[in-house]
Amino acid sequence: MNTIVRKQMSIHPDVMDLLNNQIAMEMKASASYLAMASWCDQRELLNSKALFYKQAEEEREHAMKIFEFINDNGGAAISPNVTNVNNDFESLLSIYETALEQEISVTQSIFKIFKAARKADDFITEVFLQWFISEQAEEEDNFRSILDIFGLMEGMPLKMIDERIPTE
Amino acid sequence: MDTNIGYQIKHLTFCKYALKTPNKTIALSFPQMLELRRKINELTSYSSLTNIVNNDNFVLLFVADKEHLIFLEIPQLLVLKEEIDLLFHTPVSLFV
Ligand SMILES: [Fe+2]
Ligand SMILES: [Fe+2]
Repeated sequence: MNTIVRKQMSIHPDVMDLLNNQIAMEMKASASYLAMASWCDQRELLNSKALFYKQAEEEREHAMKIFEFINDNGGAAISPNVTNVNNDFESLLSIYETALEQEISVTQSIFKIFKAARKADDFITEVFLQWFISEQAEEEDNFRSILDIFGLMEGMPLKMIDERIPTE
Repeated sequence: MDTNIGYQIKHLTFCKYALKTPNKTIALSFPQMLELRRKINELTSYSSLTNIVNNDNFVLLFVADKEHLIFLEIPQLLVLKEEIDLLFHTPVSLFV
């Protein structure tokens, strides 16, 4: 990437746009987990509520990591709009299913940026994103394990299932 | 560039850029340039262009940390988008 702009920015401008979209996606995920935490909190599902409050914070940290990365590399990080946050859920199971789906779409989005960075010879972003790729693998695995618990404990009262949700 | 439309972007020094409009030349720092790029990209999306055509057919845009206000019709918006894309994607060797 030997452009005029290269002197000011060490990341590729098109990749920067994708990273800014990713900031919005992480902040949306954070807001979405907060809604899930509230649903669980109101129903005294203690382990689930703790898990989702923590997820909400982690997603914000992910957004901030990218935000600072863009600015540190001479770009312009954009504070995103977060709209259409769903606060209406039908069950704890559907919350965990939604959480897994959300994580899968974040993973796909990170892959997309990784590919774009590679194509644009933006090695700085490529290396930066490696942490996110391992993080996503872990997150997906966590939610899959929880959904397994629901499978194993089918028909049991919600609170008993909630007690089996791992709290680190 | 098409001089009839009268919008042009020049790279002056290491971190100075200039936006030439039909009636003035506006100096831009790199962060101001990035903000202009963001706004122009937003305004030239399909839905935004449709919206502009269905309403006033022009936009007023603040540039250089709101120091200047510029008037843009669709053709000028598109020229500016091309100018910015060129600046951000042309190899140094092709710039004179
Ligand atoms: Fe995340
Ligand atoms: Fe996550």
